[in-house]
Amino acid sequence: MTATTMEGSRGLGVAWFQRRFAGAPMPWLIPVIVVIGIFYLYPVLEVIRLSFTDSTLNKVGNYTLFSIVTALSSPQLPGVLLATVEFVGGSIVGQQLLGLALALVVIRGEKRHLFGTTVLRTTALVAWVVPGIAGGIVWQMLFSEAPFGGLNSMLRLIHIAPVAWLSDPNIAPWSAVISNIWRGTAFSMVVMYAALKAIDPALYEAAEVDGASASQQLRFITLPQLRMAILVNMILITVQTMNTFDAIISLTGGGPGRATEVIALYAYYTVFRNYDLSSGSVISVLMLVISMILALAYALFLPREAESS
Amino acid sequence: MNAKLLGRLGDAGSYLFMLVTFVFFAGPLFWLLSLALRDKREIYLGMARFIPKYPTIDNFISVFTNSFFPTYLWNGLKLACLSGVGVLIVALPAAYAFSRFNFRGKGIWMMALLAFQMISPLVLMVPLYRYFKWLQLLDSHFSVIMVYIALGVPLASWLLKGSIDAIPRSLDEAAMIDGCSRFSVFWRVILPLSGPGVASVFIITVIAGWSQFLVPFILLTRTELMPIGVGIFQFQGMQNGTTMQLLAAACLISVVPAIVAFLLLQRLILGSLTAGAVKG
Repeated sequence: MTATTMEGSRGLGVAWFQRRFAGAPMPWLIPVIVVIGIFYLYPVLEVIRLSFTDSTLNKVGNYTLFSIVTALSSPQLPGVLLATVEFVGGSIVGQQLLGLALALVVIRGEKRHLFGTTVLRTTALVAWVVPGIAGGIVWQMLFSEAPFGGLNSMLRLIHIAPVAWLSDPNIAPWSAVISNIWRGTAFSMVVMYAALKAIDPALYEAAEVDGASASQQLRFITLPQLRMAILVNMILITVQTMNTFDAIISLTGGGPGRATEVIALYAYYTVFRNYDLSSGSVISVLMLVISMILALAYALFLPREAESS
Repeated sequence: MNAKLLGRLGDAGSYLFMLVTFVFFAGPLFWLLSLALRDKREIYLGMARFIPKYPTIDNFISVFTNSFFPTYLWNGLKLACLSGVGVLIVALPAAYAFSRFNFRGKGIWMMALLAFQMISPLVLMVPLYRYFKWLQLLDSHFSVIMVYIALGVPLASWLLKGSIDAIPRSLDEAAMIDGCSRFSVFWRVILPLSGPGVASVFIITVIAGWSQFLVPFILLTRTELMPIGVGIFQFQGMQNGTTMQLLAAACLISVVPAIVAFLLLQRLILGSLTAGAVKG
């Protein structure tokens, strides 16, 4: 009621503006449209355009298809793609399994009032909040191969030979995966926890009546019911891991050699170290295509959300 | 009897798993703390001296006094908080529209926002770098904040829509019957009632901004403008084996604010993040 008097005291212009526009959604969406247009749409179109030129970071070149051929036939690209697949694949498997196991244990712990359930859940989430660059530095200190490096000095305590965590090109990618699992698992845990809570308890009661064991319940009820959550989670982990830049530049910088040079790092080095804007744009378009395929898949798995909104 | 025994065994297994995963998740952070509290000599003892015999806070003092660190921290805080405010200004009206208006293609709009969210920031930064260079806006906090806002808006719009959806429409209608316009409904009814959602989106954006590395790394070159993420990365480049305790202290200082902010508002943040997931 006070609102009415406040309305009356406002200027005529405001009232006119409100009558004219406030009933339509457009004015409310203008800020978002401007932001999306400038910071997403324009760069996406621009990066596609640049990939058809022979530009460098300092000068815009002429249109040509040559850059695409050069960038895609680069002898470094297969290695980069392999490193990316290893990094993303390892993270998916690790984060899904550990995230599911954590969610199952947390739920069991809540049910049976086990000690420390909340502490465990919070600890995993804390690792998730650690900034990527700091996470990379922490793990670099753990993997450090100096005599006082965290893991190697621990191995020495129990008389096991030190491991070349970051300098052996066959081991370094898996070290990177471990550090990424450390940071990313909490997200999977949250997704899996929510999905597990959403399973109808009647299913388990029925299974119990039928005499199904715990492992049978996991295999025939829990996992099938989680299929959607696992798929969605897989897509989100893939996107996040493929876009990872900070955690890996501070952990390995792409080395040893190019063993951990994932696609985001490769694109960065191409543009900002070699000033090769056109090749970098081709790589970016490649990343863009992969993300859009994943986004499309994600949209297909979430049809109810889209309809209900 | 048998079931009880199985339950006990299960509990034992759960505890074992919990212990191992706790060490995995907490270990690295305790290692960081352990290094940050050591003096030069104890660094060389590695894991064997997990709890330092002569703990010291000298590393923190030297990080704070001998470098750009206070500047880095201030820049990080400033960029993160301003982008948090900016995200709310852009995303709140959109979230209101997505929640309360019915218009054609709304589902597609919202999916498009999600799809944009999935684009690697690096892909966007390549053209934006040239764009800001052309506008002569490199090395300015303004451009960095704008990009932070853009990166935060899609998720924020989704989360805020979720929290506005939870406010009954009958409240809007009652206010409108009482003569409120759309704007005053938004301002007087929706905003006050979506306080928790707004707060958690703000905190999520601030934590994300605090953790940002790529955007300032590409857009800024002057040391006095760098936020904390880039600051500790450059600090890392300057250190060697003998100064690990300093790097650890610097790293810990950058990590603690994010963790504290998260812990204080954990319930709120998780609530808004999982609200959509449970419903879907």
